[in-house]
Amino acid sequence: MLRNTSVRWGGVAQFFHWTIVVLIITQFILALTAEDLHGVKKLAVLATHKSFGITILMLATLRVLWRLNNPTPPLPATLKPYERFLAHFTHTALYVLIFITPLTGWIMSSARGFPVSWFNLFQLPDLVAKNRPLYDFMVDTHETLAWTLAAIATLHLLAALKHHFVMKDTVLRRMLPFTKTP
Amino acid sequence: MKSRIRCAWPLAAWMIVWVAGGVSAAATPPSYALDATKSSLEFAFVQAGAQNKGRFPKFTVNFTFADEALADSKLDVTIDVAALDTQDQERDDTLRDTDLFDVKKYPQARFTATQMTKTAGGYEATGTLLLRGVTKPQRVQFALRSASEQGRHVLYMTGKSLVKRLDFGVGQGDWKSTEWVGNDVTVTFNLRLVAP
Repeated sequence: MLRNTSVRWGGVAQFFHWTIVVLIITQFILALTAEDLHGVKKLAVLATHKSFGITILMLATLRVLWRLNNPTPPLPATLKPYERFLAHFTHTALYVLIFITPLTGWIMSSARGFPVSWFNLFQLPDLVAKNRPLYDFMVDTHETLAWTLAAIATLHLLAALKHHFVMKDTVLRRMLPFTKTP
Repeated sequence: MKSRIRCAWPLAAWMIVWVAGGVSAAATPPSYALDATKSSLEFAFVQAGAQNKGRFPKFTVNFTFADEALADSKLDVTIDVAALDTQDQERDDTLRDTDLFDVKKYPQARFTATQMTKTAGGYEATGTLLLRGVTKPQRVQFALRSASEQGRHVLYMTGKSLVKRLDFGVGQGDWKSTEWVGNDVTVTFNLRLVAP
């Protein structure tokens, strides 16, 4: 089933979720690898990082549109108010971060004067004019957002595991492909 | 004997006048002086799939030109490669380094035209480019616009030339790959040239 139901995330939502997970992990590996490189290798790794980042931004856009046009499986009714608040906070933060982390990367590239290309296929417009102080600020912002994303995603992962192993509900399973939700 | 020499003098004098007149009639094309403050020399290249550009702020131009005497016209451009500027310090340092322009060893590049021809849109100068110690044939397309400014004859020259960087060894080691930095570099120029 491609569409969401009242008890389960559909195939499309699962595809968006897991593809973005894999891409974000790849982004960390590429960004951390680039720090020790120079010359063409650094150029290549950073260009790939930028292409994946733009891909995340595109997928995030489609993902939100898809979510707005599908039912959202509700949180279990058994959740305590603080758990409910924490769940909403984490999810909202993750949605916001998968937009603004790539966007700050894009702004950072534009401010440096290095236009972004998507896999050498097409060149994206510059979001801002070349501006060195803005670039320096964006480097810090992009990095802070990335680590914030990592921290909140870890909280999200721990919560999913708690739902599965401690609360023994379907919250994790309904986002997993190849599983059945009772 | 004496009378023959006396007769030869006017003839010789006349011949000198005739030859000198002939040379000035063939008109040595005038040499134009570069107005460096109103001239630019830029280069555009593809870096990681995106268009990037830089400029050579220091260069000299020797341009001797007359439309009716293209065979005697000359274009000679010397570029201070070390002064290159891409508006990015880190990239400029990389470009100056040994794997790319190697400016310590090859501080200058030079284009010397050996032939000029008229084309549909202006002119084409065929000659040689000396870059990073390699001399290869190179073609430069340009157009001219004449103007008279405060009684002086001025030429505005715009043009371009496509340089294949790897033909000149601009890119050693990893930089030989064209996947992340393209082989094609488009050099463009806008010059203001003032007649003597």
